[in-house]
Amino acid sequence: MKEVFIGRENLLKLIGRWAKNQRVYVPVTFDIMNNPETPDYELVKEEVPDKLELHGACPAQSPKTFLFYAREVVAKYPSSDPEASVEAPATIVVGPRACDLDGLEKFDKVYWSTKHFTEEYDDPFYIEKRQNTVLVSVDCTASKETCFCTMMGGKPYVDDGFDLNISPLKSGYILTSGSDKGEKLLEGSDDLFTPVDSNHKDERSRSRASVTAAVERQNAQYAVDVAHDKHELGSNEAAWAHVTQNCVGCGACNRICPSCTCFLLVDQRAEGGYERTRNWDTCLSIGYARTGGGGNSRPNLPQRLENRIRCKLEYSRDRYGAVSCTGCGRCIDVCMGRIDMREAIKHVVTEMAKA
Amino acid sequence: MKNIYRPIESVIEDIKQESPNITTYRFRPKEPLTFAAGQFVELTAPGVGEAPFTPSSNPNVTETMEITIMDVGTVTHALTKMKVGDTVGIRGPYGNGYNMADFDGKEILIMGGGVGLAPLRSLILALFDDIDRYKKVSIRYGARTPEDVIFKDLLPEWEKMKNTEVLLTIDEPAPNWSGKVGVVTVLLDDLPLLTTVDVEGLPFSAETAVACVCGPPIMLKFVNIALLEKGFKPENIYHSMERNMSCGLGKCGHCMMGELYICKDGPVMTAAQVASFEDPF
Repeated sequence: MKEVFIGRENLLKLIGRWAKNQRVYVPVTFDIMNNPETPDYELVKEEVPDKLELHGACPAQSPKTFLFYAREVVAKYPSSDPEASVEAPATIVVGPRACDLDGLEKFDKVYWSTKHFTEEYDDPFYIEKRQNTVLVSVDCTASKETCFCTMMGGKPYVDDGFDLNISPLKSGYILTSGSDKGEKLLEGSDDLFTPVDSNHKDERSRSRASVTAAVERQNAQYAVDVAHDKHELGSNEAAWAHVTQNCVGCGACNRICPSCTCFLLVDQRAEGGYERTRNWDTCLSIGYARTGGGGNSRPNLPQRLENRIRCKLEYSRDRYGAVSCTGCGRCIDVCMGRIDMREAIKHVVTEMAKA
Repeated sequence: MKNIYRPIESVIEDIKQESPNITTYRFRPKEPLTFAAGQFVELTAPGVGEAPFTPSSNPNVTETMEITIMDVGTVTHALTKMKVGDTVGIRGPYGNGYNMADFDGKEILIMGGGVGLAPLRSLILALFDDIDRYKKVSIRYGARTPEDVIFKDLLPEWEKMKNTEVLLTIDEPAPNWSGKVGVVTVLLDDLPLLTTVDVEGLPFSAETAVACVCGPPIMLKFVNIALLEKGFKPENIYHSMERNMSCGLGKCGHCMMGELYICKDGPVMTAAQVASFEDPF
């Protein structure tokens, strides 16, 4: 592990050096819709954008966007070639938070079977991108109102599982390598670094503790520790109907979620034959569980929202050994019905306890 | 890396109309493609899409594969437009099959409803290949009308097999039908059970008998109740669970039921496996 300090100007230079050899995405603030608070990713072209923003909470999107495309061709047919043809250029994503790395754990389990199980269905389209992508994680220096990582057993900073981590401070950043891939990013740039001193480390510890406390404080009212208490949400029809009152089934929560892995295969005509695309899908749509003969195991919206939330908290835990909601709060941010995952959980757990 | 989404080209070799809306296709895959009774494949109608089917042919015949399809959706309808010599795609096989090693020496009750007899035919043909290993094979099949009965020409042949009986029913009375009338569960009313009455011939021992059920969800629900009432053990009742698997690989999520993937933990699941679900069918 290597740890260095870097000022803002030099960080922009360092990222510029990375961008010479590979695609680099960084979170920047956009002056659109008068809402510059939440940065989103931008591809670094000629220059590193000076609107690069590493402070604050998580970017608008999770890194699943880079590893599991919203729409991707996964097969062209007819074809007798058993090998997958995957485009997976070397990519660096600067900006994922601890909650985002937690979300990728679910992806690894579903798409990279051999990493976790000894099963035969490894997904080449995910794995090759995952292998060719370096994740430069960032400590949260503030929380959004909707952040609840601590409620899901997470923290607003990473301890492990990262390639390179950035801890933003007032005067610059601490860079910490966590893998060979991350260490490589620091090679040959010693001219940009200064040593990390104890003041830097103290500032980082204080910042981490204060953001953690802030997230805990704003979620104290929900008082449900799902990751540790192993709550069973159960299928309390009235409780789920209450939670679903304002849901329109748009599926925005599915799409923005860092751990929603579901998709639908769609075939169409293409040059030389046909192609099969893999598209993000949403379990909130009525067609999701529909079968050929017109059957549907979840015909009603409350059943579908129940399925989504229980999938995150119970089914993922039972199948993959970990709750898959990361508490990033993006589903709350994007919900036009203002459905709050935390309130939903609290309501259902409370009603179950009464029953 | 291997592309898990690529369909294997397969040529339609034969098309046989079974009923007004059910057809059996025989495919010859261009690459080796085998399956075990109960497993399913993803069948591609080129440019239209994929749908999951359990083949209806004998799994011991490996050169060709038959699938019996009801015209109900986009993919199945596209298939009705295809002709002998046309090419489709097949991926698989996926999921688990019947645990046939566990059937040795037992009575096997096969309950089919409508096109649900199609996947069971691959099991029936596999059982026939080794019929001496089983005490009895009782095939009980319900269709809506006499025209809707599939494998009309095969049923009399099956009846001639050793240790085998075939019982039929149709939902509503119809002219020229002298057989049983009523939904498929009526075929269970007089199921001879060793534990209740020792009927001459081939009684069932509810303690050990195995039931393999396939049909519309509503049928599975009521057959399940009836079999449990008859004393069948939940672990001996095998249901073919119906979900619309998009990938078949345990990834797309469409077939999830709680923490179970029907495409991996099923599609054949015992009543014991689904017992904890309020309404698994």
